[in-house]
Amino acid sequence: MAVERPTTNLPQPTSEAGTDPIIIPDAARSDELLQPFGMEEHPQGGFHGLLEVIPTKADYVLDLIRANSLWPLLSGLSCCAIEMMSTATSVNDIDRFGMFPFRASPRQADVLIVAGTLTTKMAGPLVRLWEQMPEPKWCVAMGTCTTSGGRFKRSYSVVQGVDRVMPVDVYVPGCPPRPEGLIYGMMKLHELVKQRRGEWSTYVDRGPQRTRWEGDVR
Amino acid sequence: MTKTDPEVRIPDPIELDRLEEDRLRAVAGLTPLHAGSGEYAGFDQVGIPDRPPQTEREREVYSLDEGEMLINMGPQHPSTHGVMRLVVKVRGEIVVDIDPVLGYLHRGIEKLCENATYTTVLTYVDPMDYLSTMHNEHAPAIAFEKLYGIRPPRRAEYIRALVVELNRVFSHGLMMGFLALDMGGLTPILYAFINRDEIVDMLSAISGQRMLFNFFRVGGVNFDTNDEFLSRLGTWRSHVLTNIEMNEHMITDNEIFRSRTIGMGTLSGADAISLGVTGPNLRASGVPFDIRKAHPYSIYNELEFDVITQQGGDSYARYLQRIAEIKQSIHLIDQIIDKMPHGPVQAQVPGIIRPRPGRAYAAVESPRGLYSVYSISDGGPTPYRFRMRDPSFISLQAMPKLMPGRLVADTMAIMASLDPVMGGVDK
Amino acid sequence: MRLLTERLGADLRDLWTDEDTVEFAIDGDRNVEVLTLLRDDEELAFFMLADEAAVDYGVDAHFEVVYHLFSWKHPAWLRVRARVDRSDPRIPTVTHLWEGATFHEREMYDMMGIVFTGNRDLRRIYMSPDYRSFPQRRDFVLPDDAADSPAHGVNPLERPETWDLSRFRDAPAVTFPPSSERDDAPAESVTGGETLADKSRPR
Repeated sequence: MAVERPTTNLPQPTSEAGTDPIIIPDAARSDELLQPFGMEEHPQGGFHGLLEVIPTKADYVLDLIRANSLWPLLSGLSCCAIEMMSTATSVNDIDRFGMFPFRASPRQADVLIVAGTLTTKMAGPLVRLWEQMPEPKWCVAMGTCTTSGGRFKRSYSVVQGVDRVMPVDVYVPGCPPRPEGLIYGMMKLHELVKQRRGEWSTYVDRGPQRTRWEGDVR
Repeated sequence: MTKTDPEVRIPDPIELDRLEEDRLRAVAGLTPLHAGSGEYAGFDQVGIPDRPPQTEREREVYSLDEGEMLINMGPQHPSTHGVMRLVVKVRGEIVVDIDPVLGYLHRGIEKLCENATYTTVLTYVDPMDYLSTMHNEHAPAIAFEKLYGIRPPRRAEYIRALVVELNRVFSHGLMMGFLALDMGGLTPILYAFINRDEIVDMLSAISGQRMLFNFFRVGGVNFDTNDEFLSRLGTWRSHVLTNIEMNEHMITDNEIFRSRTIGMGTLSGADAISLGVTGPNLRASGVPFDIRKAHPYSIYNELEFDVITQQGGDSYARYLQRIAEIKQSIHLIDQIIDKMPHGPVQAQVPGIIRPRPGRAYAAVESPRGLYSVYSISDGGPTPYRFRMRDPSFISLQAMPKLMPGRLVADTMAIMASLDPVMGGVDK
Repeated sequence: MRLLTERLGADLRDLWTDEDTVEFAIDGDRNVEVLTLLRDDEELAFFMLADEAAVDYGVDAHFEVVYHLFSWKHPAWLRVRARVDRSDPRIPTVTHLWEGATFHEREMYDMMGIVFTGNRDLRRIYMSPDYRSFPQRRDFVLPDDAADSPAHGVNPLERPETWDLSRFRDAPAVTFPPSSERDDAPAESVTGGETLADKSRPR
């Protein structure tokens, strides 16, 4: 039987912006006007023509919109969840970055911050959540438990890093990471979003990353 | 309009991957992976129930009468207690029975501790009940000191009591915030987190860590108080009572809060003892059981305080009990600061201690109840058996008693008033 | 606490007292009678079950189910150790005495495989319901994580034959600031010998 993978409907970077603009740019020149946004090397940068302002900059604006209003999914599993909540509340506030609404439903969320230890029992529901999130979606592995198993390295029921089950964009180390650390991770994620370097679009299921023994659960 | 053929079923993308993997394995001559239910729960267990009931109680919960329905409040839900799954049997909107499914955060800490030296064990127990980390470390520290046969210096005991009471203050404050959050109030949690951030910055000045403080050692504590800690303590102490009262006034006389908590989840004292509920939940049901008074440990017999109880045993009483305990803890902190002696903060113990063979049991009063550690030593550098009894785990047994008869929306409110922390529940 | 010997004389074994604990051992089959007596007797009145734990003493030895009880009338914790055979690990349940024992017993079943006869809800609580092993037994050992990775041995740090231990033996005693910034003569290398740390290092 034919197995069809669902295709994404994400608008790809437009290539019809390659018409000659009024100002003829050098293709290798970086765009100074975009420098405050960190996007001077954007593939669509460098064009400042009058007619091309709106269509070419729609992609930047789209990326900016995505970056500045990433809605996280409430996926606090363990201690890192408390630090994530602490990042979300008054003293360290990620509302200023647009991440105020922690959505309860995965259908409305952009970024899955896996905060806390992932166990083998929870791995199933968590991957189900990830699959339910509509694209574009990003994943942040917060804390050492999600990066590599952390302090539970030899445990029989802890998944040694959430990248064994889903693609991760940003790893934030720490046990738990300070709120400032998580905010730094979010800034890195903003860069990824603006440069379209997310992992979800390029994820290939490589299968289990080590030999599976009989009765093995990790 | 395209006609959808009801005979053709479009498989779920998850199933497509699994079918493809099974097809490839069949081509390669291997057995299919997904024939039976796998070790990963969740993918295969999508229905309730997905396998025949194994026990009497399961049969009782999962058999449906006329008009009843099973709802899964899954491991990820907006109520922020962590990952717990509640299978709720409802008739309409009224809960008839519930079955909590735990283990989504089981990290195997007890087994890990059997291969760790005694000092390392004190770091492994931190993330159990992650909102009351100091209590998690206090009980094993006392147990190992009993095994080793030493007592920590008095200043160490006083510092321990100080940080333990600070931990209790912010843990109860967070419970107040979470209780309001589960009912939809978004402001008290912010105030609770401001309070927590202040205390946690203070504790990070003394222990170096914001949350999973690795502060206790066998024989004392790791660091002495320093200037930053004391100045933050003074600043915090000067405005904490006003902050708590501000938070309290916002919630306690709130009509919505009162109507949602008064009379909800009433637990009688005898039931609570039989169920093993301890701590503020038990004291709110009228039983004056406080480990600090009943079986004093550390320096609690030198401090003056009363055991507070409430009458009623409902969610409102549990909430009031915690506010009263916050104020009691602040009073205790004042006494500790007055009475703190000078001296060393850690007894001279070798890096890897080898206590004599024996058994030790130590219980402390954590913000959730009786937190105890039972440890067996065989003379080697690692404990032979390290067992922690977590109060949230046992308090969750009260839920099938409290929730039937209430509406679905009350389940979260009642659970929040019991204040479980899933790290401790699942170890 | 000498009341115990007079009430339970027949069942008591290994009575042991410490400043804050009284402990004794019993046979697994007698646990219900003993605990009922402890709970209902007016002078003993151990009304609260504080903890119920299981201990595995090894592959050749037995299990133990350990109950910790508390009473207002006695200042010490009471520890009751009930011995359970390893070949047939069954013991009667105490859920009819204390309902809060249900989760304790489920956990003990899940982790050690001890079956509590009479428990209405004996199923796995921490692991998945179809998990096949009992993690906290002494013979439950997991293979090392790195050793069974398909990439094991690629990284030279995972291959002991590539380790150059001479860089530790010949190193100077002080390594900071870096040698390019140091202006004094390099210290003599410390020869390795046996120190106290070696004696207390776990083998």
